Amino acid sequence: MSTSIKDTQKMIEEVLEAYPEKSKKDRAKHLAANDPTGQCSACQVKSNIKSRPGVMTVRGCAYAGAKGVVWGPVKDQITISHGPIGCGQYSWWSRRNYYNGQTGIDTFGTMHITTDFQEKNIVYGGDKGLDAALHELKGLFPLAKGIGILSECPVGLIGDDIEAVSKKVAKEFEYPIVPVRCEGFRGVSQSLGHHIANDTIKDYVLGKGTLDTSTPYDVALIGDYNIGGDAWASRRILEEMGLRVISQYTGDSTVNEIGIANKAKLNLIHCYRSMNYICRHMEEEYGIPWMEFNFFGPTKTYDSIRKIAARFDEKIQNNAEALIAKYKPLMDRIVEQYRPNLEGKKVMLYVGGLRPRHTIGAYEDLGMEVVASGYEFGHNDDYKRTYPEMKEGAVIMDDATLYELEEFTRRLKPDMVGSGIKEKYSYHKLGVPFRQMHSWDYSGPYHGFDGFPVFARDMDMTVNSPTWDLIRRKK
Amino acid sequence: MSTMKINDHCELFQGAEYQEQFEKKKEFERPWPEEKVKEVSDWTKTEEYKELNFARQNIKINPAKACQPLGAVFCASGFEGSMPFVQGAQGCVAYFRSHLSRHFKEPFAAISTSMTEDAAVFGGLNNMLEGLENAYALYHPKMLAVSTTCMAEVIGDDLNAYIKTAREKGAIPNDLPVPFAHTPSFVGSHIVGYDNMLKGILKDLSAGQKKEPNGRVNIIPGFDTYTGNYHELKRLMAIMGIAFTLLSDVSDTFDSPNTGEYKLYPGGTPLSEAKDAVNALGTIALQKYSTVKTLEYIRKEWDRKAFTATPIGIRNTDIFFEELSKLTGKPIPAAIETERGRAVDAMVDSHPYVHGKRFAMVGDPDMLLGMISLIMEMGGRPVHIVCTNGDKHFEADAAELLASSPFGADGKVYAGKDMWHLRSLLFTEPVDLLVGNSYAKFLVADTGTPLIRVGFPLFDRHHLHRQPIIGYQGALNLVTMIVNKVLDEMDRKTMHSASFDVIR
Amino acid sequence: MRQIAIYGKGGIGKSTTTQNLVAALAEAGRKCMIIGCDPKADSTRLILNRKAQNTVMDMAREKGTVEDLELDDVLLRGFKGIKCAESGGPEPGVGCAGRGVITAINFLEENGAYGDDTEFVFYDVLGDVVCGGFAMPIREGKAKEIYIVTSGEMMAMYAANNISRGVLKYAQSGGVRLGGLICNSRKTDKEFELISELASKLGTQMIHFVPRDNEVQRAELRRKTVIDYAPTHPQADEYRELARKIADNKNFVIPTPITMDELERLLMDYGIMESEEAVA
Repeated sequence: MSTSIKDTQKMIEEVLEAYPEKSKKDRAKHLAANDPTGQCSACQVKSNIKSRPGVMTVRGCAYAGAKGVVWGPVKDQITISHGPIGCGQYSWWSRRNYYNGQTGIDTFGTMHITTDFQEKNIVYGGDKGLDAALHELKGLFPLAKGIGILSECPVGLIGDDIEAVSKKVAKEFEYPIVPVRCEGFRGVSQSLGHHIANDTIKDYVLGKGTLDTSTPYDVALIGDYNIGGDAWASRRILEEMGLRVISQYTGDSTVNEIGIANKAKLNLIHCYRSMNYICRHMEEEYGIPWMEFNFFGPTKTYDSIRKIAARFDEKIQNNAEALIAKYKPLMDRIVEQYRPNLEGKKVMLYVGGLRPRHTIGAYEDLGMEVVASGYEFGHNDDYKRTYPEMKEGAVIMDDATLYELEEFTRRLKPDMVGSGIKEKYSYHKLGVPFRQMHSWDYSGPYHGFDGFPVFARDMDMTVNSPTWDLIRRKK
Repeated sequence: MSTMKINDHCELFQGAEYQEQFEKKKEFERPWPEEKVKEVSDWTKTEEYKELNFARQNIKINPAKACQPLGAVFCASGFEGSMPFVQGAQGCVAYFRSHLSRHFKEPFAAISTSMTEDAAVFGGLNNMLEGLENAYALYHPKMLAVSTTCMAEVIGDDLNAYIKTAREKGAIPNDLPVPFAHTPSFVGSHIVGYDNMLKGILKDLSAGQKKEPNGRVNIIPGFDTYTGNYHELKRLMAIMGIAFTLLSDVSDTFDSPNTGEYKLYPGGTPLSEAKDAVNALGTIALQKYSTVKTLEYIRKEWDRKAFTATPIGIRNTDIFFEELSKLTGKPIPAAIETERGRAVDAMVDSHPYVHGKRFAMVGDPDMLLGMISLIMEMGGRPVHIVCTNGDKHFEADAAELLASSPFGADGKVYAGKDMWHLRSLLFTEPVDLLVGNSYAKFLVADTGTPLIRVGFPLFDRHHLHRQPIIGYQGALNLVTMIVNKVLDEMDRKTMHSASFDVIR
Repeated sequence: MRQIAIYGKGGIGKSTTTQNLVAALAEAGRKCMIIGCDPKADSTRLILNRKAQNTVMDMAREKGTVEDLELDDVLLRGFKGIKCAESGGPEPGVGCAGRGVITAINFLEENGAYGDDTEFVFYDVLGDVVCGGFAMPIREGKAKEIYIVTSGEMMAMYAANNISRGVLKYAQSGGVRLGGLICNSRKTDKEFELISELASKLGTQMIHFVPRDNEVQRAELRRKTVIDYAPTHPQADEYRELARKIADNKNFVIPTPITMDELERLLMDYGIMESEEAVA
């Protein structure tokens, strides 16, 4: 075992000292020193396991995964937060899944629609009210193309039969009514919510859309939620390559798009964690191959463009090379402009989905090094894909707690931290440059050739803001 | 230094390439024909649609309220060394933390017991035990204030018994205060959760503390998300020369200075003061609807005076100082009278731009009552008053207030209604100005009514919550916002006409 | 004020026994209240002499929210001024009846339903302690004593033991104690001895043996307690005796529930259940 790994392991042990015995033992399995070769068995973290009570996990719940991530962005469907008032309120247009359309008329993305359970709904059950609610929505929003019922904790606890209600009403309305059993107490994090939502796509919508023509270049863009317009930037590249993007999952998506992805020739998946399930299903059921790609930063983007093109004919491959040639000078100029400001800076990441590994290349393009990275709700396969991307001895953390993040920051002294809104302001207080890497701190896009300049600009302004120097630190 | 202009989402997607992309994408989207969309869009502005909209009973659309535990964790965070601790599913706490951070731009710590499916079946005792033990070991709180999510409430977790068991098993020390409140999200809203938690904390801390009155005054701000109000209150009390205890004081929690250090517990009401609150001369709550049960408890169990005075607007602030003076026997100092004079002077100066203007407003009950009062004082006319978390008592209070002034004659109160109802009202009975939180900006987009951002949450503007809206200074701040919104709007509309005056 | 919870297997005669004993207490001049904690809402009809009263949850459903409810809507007075309330709740198979119990008790407490002069509050609680909601009446600050209605039938005894287990859990953390078993006779073999023995194994007493008598049914058909319908009947005296014993009871224990094996052995000892050898 190398010294860098040993040093990191020692540091982790010190951090864990503060825990009571039971939690210490548990948390030890989730923190490791990185071994890019995957040889060191002690360097593998355990993941997708229940968070310990009381440790202040950053994680959310299945509802957040199903409503906030997967179903919420589908723009012409009404998404009901079925249960008490809070869940829908706190997840109301916070993920910036950009879309085009007239809200409240033919699209519903920025709306918060809920059955607002009262005590009587808990005691007597909520099914009758749900049935009535669906009819009221149909009356008020005649152009909706479907309704999703995203259930909150009590719905599962009191045993409501939302599937039966959905089935009955869907027949009347002649459009999909999708019951999504994503009660927050199910599973251990957002992750189960993604899976449940993927399953409902499969059961209720996939294969039911209309696509008039087909071409050999039809692809679906999967696992891009169009945060700050990410999917649009990615789509631009794919279209310029000569591919036809017939469906976006699920940023700026429509019910019809969700229904026709099975007609793609290739599924391109960006966020593997949240949408691998539906890709695997389409592979098994429709024989559609899928591949992962990465449009963060020019190096990974060129690489991905070539790998995607390799799945098509020479025409596409030539387009791909022409495209890279077209954008390379711009990308070089961006690197030239920002790299001197960022060279050698250390980054610590603690995010979800794909970012803890996918953004590493973009940081490296700017001369930065990711010294610690972790996932809120990753699984084993996410970590396997991460180890090779990181240097030996880097810290890998799973379901990190507020306490751990603070300790690692103190010890690793990163120049910049990328994490979520809950972490953001404690880092501001610490005087550590911070970027909110779930919603791009209300900036973006970060994907593709249009996204990288924004990414570079934002990382620069984060690390090099003069405001950090105004902080008068207590001696 | 950067030289190249970088286009982000604000500019990129307006460009021709993207506009073309969006057009082409429609082939797969299968949208409705444009005429159809227009037809429905127009229909939603009609009286007919309004009736349909108001007939709904089973669904809320863009409601302006949050759930009980949010208010509970907010309240719990305003005491010295206090860690909000929530028994239930973990996603809720992630949401509370995000929600409060988005408004205040400050860190917010709170703990969940991460209950999952097994706890749903077997009850949450084990989660509570391990949660308390871990929270105490890792975060060294001086108090753990327990509230519940709907999950723990539906399965009927018994907090009192669980906490006792935790002490017996040594998970937490015997002398650590662990007040609790049952805060089901399917009852009331965040303001009720605040009330329940505060009552729970006071009940716990005041046990066995009753002695002779200590001459102090308790002030309960209520679910008040303006840190500026807390600072303002402290300033005013210093001028009045009144010793007081804020219950709970979240001003440091949500407005701590940047010193290069992250403090988990940046301040809050000292526990010693909170324990002694039972011996105060009396208690004034600055909000009525977030303190109903707490005030009742203080009157009954502490046997002390407790009443409400919301100092939003001139006359309301007058009443606040008069009551304070009555309670403490201290006269109202000249400095305060001077502040009053300045605020009134500003209102006299600005009245021509506000007089007769029609207002719609949406938010929490006490904020609305304050705003109705202030707007009528300026000669403005409250028209649509929408309060999703208002009950019949609020409806009566608001109606009475409107009836007290000729400027209230057009006012109608809509308790339990939401911002989609308000959308209909803004189309069928338009107004000049809208008062509400950040989510009301969608009403701006739909109806073109200019928005004055007051309330919670304020996500899309910075530092508004740092300026007080209470007291005479607060009235002045609100008047400044209102009149300048009118003038901005006037400029926007007259920019290319002769009416684009430079002096107003 | 003494708060008392009556538990027992469904159909055992819990509500009838409770209402008769409360009627007897009221007849003796004690101020009483009954809170029915069963969605069936049949815990007060013999006191009110009517079909069923408006329940807290039904009224809350009608008015929209619990906050809009008035105490007068749901708190009625019946025989000898006994205060009556029912939690109410859903039909079997939907919703969450346990939450209804929590809501109702919270509502009654917050709105001062108990008053200052009530001497006895009885909670008549559905069957077994099936979820947290049904333990609401024995949370701290509420009922401190529990009586379990049982009979010589095996399932009733099984339930009694099970309930003792629930009580044990609450007794350890709170102050609730078992006051005894009430045997509501089904005229099974050696019933008196068997329940006395079960009581002693649970560490408690059989506080009273209520004989079976058709007068109870005759009264019930007229929506009355025996105390009300036939005050001079010997069965009325049985309930008076039960009421007196409960009023005077000083024997409160933390129960010592037994295992399934022990329970079966008990039944075999009394010849209720054949041992496996005997079967063979």
